[in-house]
Amino acid sequence: MMRPLVSIFLVLAMPIGAQPPGAGAPKPAAPNARLAAPFDPSGYWVAQITEDWHYRIKPAAKGDVGGIPVNAQGRRAAAAWDPEKDAAASDACKAYGVGGILRMPGRLHIAWEGDNALKMETDSGTQTRTLTFGQPGGQGGDWQGVSVASWDRQAPALSGFTLGNAGGSAPSLKIVTTKAKPGYLARNGVPYGANATFTEYYDVLQVPGGDALLVVTVEVTDPEYLTSSYWYSVHFKKQADAAGWNPRSCSAK
Amino acid sequence: MKFTRLLSLFVSLSAGVWLLNAQGPGGFGAGGGKGKGKAGPPPAIDFSGWWTGNMQEDGAERGAGPDLVDYGGVPINEAARLWALSYDTSRLTSRFHQCDGYVAPYSVRAIGNTRVWEERDPRLQTLIAIHWYSQTFEGHRVFWMDGRPHPPVYAPHTFMGFSTGTFVGNALRVETTHLKQGWLRRNGLPESDQTTLTEFFTRRGEHITYTSVIKDPVFLSEPWIKTTDFYRQPTDPGAWLFPCEDSEQVTGRAPDQVPNYLFGTHPYAEEYAKKNNLTLLGALGGAETLYAEFEAKVTTATPAEARARMLPAPGPSQTSRAVDPDPHDGEIHVLPVRDGVYMLVGDGANIVVQVGDEGAFVVDTGAGQLTDKVLAAIQRLSPKPIQFIANTNFHPAYTGGNEKLKKAGSDPSVVGTFLSLSTPGAGSTASIIAHENVVGRMNGSMGTPATSPESWPIDTYLADRLRRFHNGDSVELFYVPNASTDGDSLVHFRRADVIVAGDVFNTTQYPFIDVANGGSVQGEIDALNAILARTVFQHSGEGGTYIVPGRGYLSDEHEVVEYRDMMAIIRDRVKAMIAGGASLQQVKTAKITADYDTRFGANSGAWTTEKFVEAVYTSLKTPASKKQ
Repeated sequence: MMRPLVSIFLVLAMPIGAQPPGAGAPKPAAPNARLAAPFDPSGYWVAQITEDWHYRIKPAAKGDVGGIPVNAQGRRAAAAWDPEKDAAASDACKAYGVGGILRMPGRLHIAWEGDNALKMETDSGTQTRTLTFGQPGGQGGDWQGVSVASWDRQAPALSGFTLGNAGGSAPSLKIVTTKAKPGYLARNGVPYGANATFTEYYDVLQVPGGDALLVVTVEVTDPEYLTSSYWYSVHFKKQADAAGWNPRSCSAK
Repeated sequence: MKFTRLLSLFVSLSAGVWLLNAQGPGGFGAGGGKGKGKAGPPPAIDFSGWWTGNMQEDGAERGAGPDLVDYGGVPINEAARLWALSYDTSRLTSRFHQCDGYVAPYSVRAIGNTRVWEERDPRLQTLIAIHWYSQTFEGHRVFWMDGRPHPPVYAPHTFMGFSTGTFVGNALRVETTHLKQGWLRRNGLPESDQTTLTEFFTRRGEHITYTSVIKDPVFLSEPWIKTTDFYRQPTDPGAWLFPCEDSEQVTGRAPDQVPNYLFGTHPYAEEYAKKNNLTLLGALGGAETLYAEFEAKVTTATPAEARARMLPAPGPSQTSRAVDPDPHDGEIHVLPVRDGVYMLVGDGANIVVQVGDEGAFVVDTGAGQLTDKVLAAIQRLSPKPIQFIANTNFHPAYTGGNEKLKKAGSDPSVVGTFLSLSTPGAGSTASIIAHENVVGRMNGSMGTPATSPESWPIDTYLADRLRRFHNGDSVELFYVPNASTDGDSLVHFRRADVIVAGDVFNTTQYPFIDVANGGSVQGEIDALNAILARTVFQHSGEGGTYIVPGRGYLSDEHEVVEYRDMMAIIRDRVKAMIAGGASLQQVKTAKITADYDTRFGANSGAWTTEKFVEAVYTSLKTPASKKQ
């Protein structure tokens, strides 16, 4: 007699977010990521280089991989870094790809491109990323790869009798990028490969009486050059306007 | 019946869970977000568990430690740079620094394990606090989540500070005040006790992104913002303790010797820059090093530009950016210290009151502007009359209320004695105790203007100490010669373990070295060491013996040590200049206090930086004779 009751309870207690799509629900309206945005990441943002400073403000010494968990192959590649060769091969932008661009000194300009895509431009290396909600266009193979955006709400652990909560209430902007052209995780030639995946979480934090901060947490996985995930986080300070915007070409050195 | 009740219970619970899950996004709190979802406070985020800092960023700095003179990426001001360039790491061998804990902003990023747990009301299950415990130096932070206010400015500072938290969007936001002086970076870059900290903790499953915003008006020219990552440990790492006991690491070093480099003489200043092919200018840090515009300078700046930053810049001295701990509201504020000892704030210098079964024992009486309120505050603490008043020195800010408080008290220990037979009225007022020279300075016999005879101490001592067992505590007055004056006493409540420092120590300004009345820089340093000779810390260099400063917030030995270090370092600089033949004007022009001026400096008022430097110079040129 108790068993059916428990089943009823479990079904009722299932989080709404866990329900399969469709299943009698009204047809959802056409997606509009901009309308659904819990925060607006658009605007000008300036990077503050306050961690790994000597690795980021200029290329560190050849072979110095810092805290990046490279494997033996990655270490060999880093030790063979040759900026002159990169420049000669039109590969000066290898450190400005998706794996390195957020750690570069400089500024970001983020703007909505329609209702379902964000365009991120950098003045450092004049790079452009398109962050698409839903099905992205493009085939990749360039420095910035193919980026899929979503509003990422961590599933709260509220099921059953447990009232704990393993996640937050408000979503982050999640960007998953693949199919990027191989490049550098650090300016001194610490490599990533063609099969690397970059998962980024963007949060906007308001300091009371102070700045709005864009904090980006990044996980890099790369079966070719890393022994384990490489995590880092960077932050940018909101600017009122384009002050300091200084487009400049990639530099291999 | 049973079936129906069970069904109701399940439906109720299920509906509750549905409601919780159906909440819309709460937005990102105060700003940034558009907040499309339903309004209301965001739900709590549970950070409980074991966590370890991800060392993939700044790993060397946070692990083995940073290089010397690696200040790049830190928005330090001139005072911080000079402070750090004066820092000799041998200072850590001093008994009083061996166990210094990490301050909260540094502790969170330090290597080691972290355990987080919630403290909930046992009946209501509401969240009272989140505890964040770091293995390194056993740093135990408490984020109060119950809306309690921060303590008053004159309350003690700790390495962990006082923190309150709130959930904002998908983050826990924590605000921290009341931090001790500590490190921004473990190579001597200082963080001041005026620092406030805003932190955001964002959890994604087994990962936390931690963002800290350090605001330090004394040592930073803009907030220092950093992000760090933590990952969850599935099992208890089993390593949580970090005991520390100080000992003699360098034998034979005099207690007033504090390892330091004179300005411009740091022997390893260029080591880090050379190793990393950077210009020294970049290694010397500053706000400009945070931004892209500095990329060009990091390899092209000239040595001359860097050298200019290793010495105080010409121009007027900086002034203190510290918060004034005096409420200036015309009221007397009472801060319980320990075991019947209280600190009264608001009428000039701090007043201390000890209460118990006997009459109140009062140390110093303030400036005398609010004595009626002081008396009322004392009467609220004890229905018994004031029996003893001790004066730590003769300055009016400490003795201004002597007469009124004396008359309001009585000393039954005198009534019925031979003294009362020879002195009519003896015992009908409180007895004032002090060093003999305090009387001499107050009655005009030592060259200072006389005050009202009713304000003079009647029970004096000449040397060493005066003892009194009162209210169940051993109370001792120790003479510290030629410190602020020639009549300073430290008052130690031994059971409560509270030392009243008088004008020897404060947290608001450079020490008032009253050379005209027997004060001297060496005596001041010796007096600070006399305090330290009696202190015992509770944990990691903090707590334990409390020190009541003449002015400022309730302290412990850490504040006294930093103050002592400052005095010894400034003395060394002036001494070196005198040895080189410098005149007083040359010493003043050299701005030898530039690294301390943003904390203690003043260009106006009764005790300016210039007067302080003059006092140091004068007392070194003509050492005071000890009058006992």
